[in-house]
Amino acid sequence: MICSMKNPAIRRYMFRLMGTLIWYVCALVVSVGLFAHIHPTGALAWLLALLPALGIIGQLAVFGLYLGEETDEFQRNLQIQAMLWGIGGTLAFLTVWGFLEIFVHLRHFDLLLVYPLYCGLTGVSLGLVKMRYR
Amino acid sequence: MKNRLKVLRAERDWSQADLAERLEVSRQSVNAIETGKYDPSLPLAFKLARLFETAIETIFTEEG
Repeated sequence: MICSMKNPAIRRYMFRLMGTLIWYVCALVVSVGLFAHIHPTGALAWLLALLPALGIIGQLAVFGLYLGEETDEFQRNLQIQAMLWGIGGTLAFLTVWGFLEIFVHLRHFDLLLVYPLYCGLTGVSLGLVKMRYR
Repeated sequence: MKNRLKVLRAERDWSQADLAERLEVSRQSVNAIETGKYDPSLPLAFKLARLFETAIETIFTEEG
């Protein structure tokens, strides 16, 4: 989504993003492993199920921090426009899919795919938004 | 909004990258402002005015 490592805000963003990705992968491995071997229940099951989600929530928070720290207002504007297109596109896609699920019995959309869908749409949007300013 | 950035830049023999470095923004930002595709905020407009030692209204003018 974001490029140019010369910018200190972007460097901090990439560093923090790596942290959230490492958290996500480790938490996923731990959760999947423990669910497969000790079959946790109750509070422990809730905790283990939520651990990987913290990595994704962290990515959103890290992006928010980047927007707050980005001193180049034009670049910030591009990122915000792309994010809004990503959010709008995700909501539109899910709304259409929801109605198709109800009325034509399309298979259920896996909620774990919502975040990758948002990231993909935001990434494509960023490319298109940047083209407008060339 | 129209602007005279390209002229002011040429008078000083600065490239877009030179101006971007002085403004602490990306070259793409300078290009977007210069081509009138992006109107800068007041703080950035003041920064430009200070850099070119002139008033904001001599850099930016309303279109039409």
